[in-house]
Amino acid sequence: MSENKILFNTGSFDGLSEEIGNLTTNAEESRLKLTPDNADSGLAKLVLTLVELIRKLVEKQAMRRVDGGSLTDDEIERLGETLMKLEMKMEELKKHFNLTDRDLNINLGPLGDLM
Amino acid sequence: MEQMIYALVSEKIDHGKLAASLSGMQGIAGVNLYAVLFNQISAVVSDMSRASQIAGKSTAIEYAGVIETLSQQFTLLPMRFGSIMQSNEAIIHMLERNYHDIQQNLLKVERKYEFGLKVFCDSETLMAELREKSEASPLPSATPAPEIKNSESRNWVNKKLKEHRLEELLVSYIDSVIEDITGQLDRLKTISKIKKMVTPTTIIDGVFLLDKALKDELIHAVGDLQNKFPGLNFILTGPWPPYNFVDFIVK
Repeated sequence: MSENKILFNTGSFDGLSEEIGNLTTNAEESRLKLTPDNADSGLAKLVLTLVELIRKLVEKQAMRRVDGGSLTDDEIERLGETLMKLEMKMEELKKHFNLTDRDLNINLGPLGDLM
Repeated sequence: MEQMIYALVSEKIDHGKLAASLSGMQGIAGVNLYAVLFNQISAVVSDMSRASQIAGKSTAIEYAGVIETLSQQFTLLPMRFGSIMQSNEAIIHMLERNYHDIQQNLLKVERKYEFGLKVFCDSETLMAELREKSEASPLPSATPAPEIKNSESRNWVNKKLKEHRLEELLVSYIDSVIEDITGQLDRLKTISKIKKMVTPTTIIDGVFLLDKALKDELIHAVGDLQNKFPGLNFILTGPWPPYNFVDFIVK
């Protein structure tokens, strides 16, 4: 982006370039790149991304319910144990396939990042 | 020979002006540009052999440069990079099939430019501030945290609950900033599209369609917003061709 297109910025131009660069890098790095050579790991990434998305949605909804006060102590206890185990299992799977949290946050183009 | 389409231009006022402008311009790889006309709409195109086409960053910048130059003189709809058709006849058929949608979109962007507004923040500082605020005055709607028991799962729930509440605070803070932005810009009769939390540091990414004559007022409005939120960094860019305000799919 050229400087003459910036109409208002209280920060430095270098700082802005860095931020824009980060946006581009994030988008490029988080694309799902499936090729014949990496079909196994690419598929693992895709599947784990979907599992992680669902796990996070479930966790978010659970926290809403806990915060709303509609669960009993026992229910919170069981819910916590289940979600904690799911999180630990997910960590194991990420390690097994050599994936990081960033790898599982795929870029959906104009829609932004998945998570 | 195939044709690459750069933009669809309204020619209802001066039919000769576009041809004159194109004669002094060049398309990707220095090829000539020309207009394919149907009624009051022209497609700005250049001849292109698919084999010689390189879909790289520099080509995309050249493509955007053509659209940018044209947008300074004409009301137009930018086409997506890589829009290629088989022949001039195919382009005319496309214009004919989509004439109503194109006219509607041209009407919407007439004499208007797109401006971009990004709001950056130091996410760690912002989260720390929100955390401090929430601890000083908890949300009235929030129920007290569940009683802490000495169990691993309960500790896990408490930790996640704190994170959840902080996230809710962040979303509510960003919503309040967006409300201020739209409040300021609605006065200028802008059409806006806003995304929030694009990345941890880019908390707002918005585009606005605005009358060309109101550019200075927009800059002033963003200055006011910056003063109101000194911890955030507002970046206003433009004017751009209306890339984000073309709402039709070519049939």
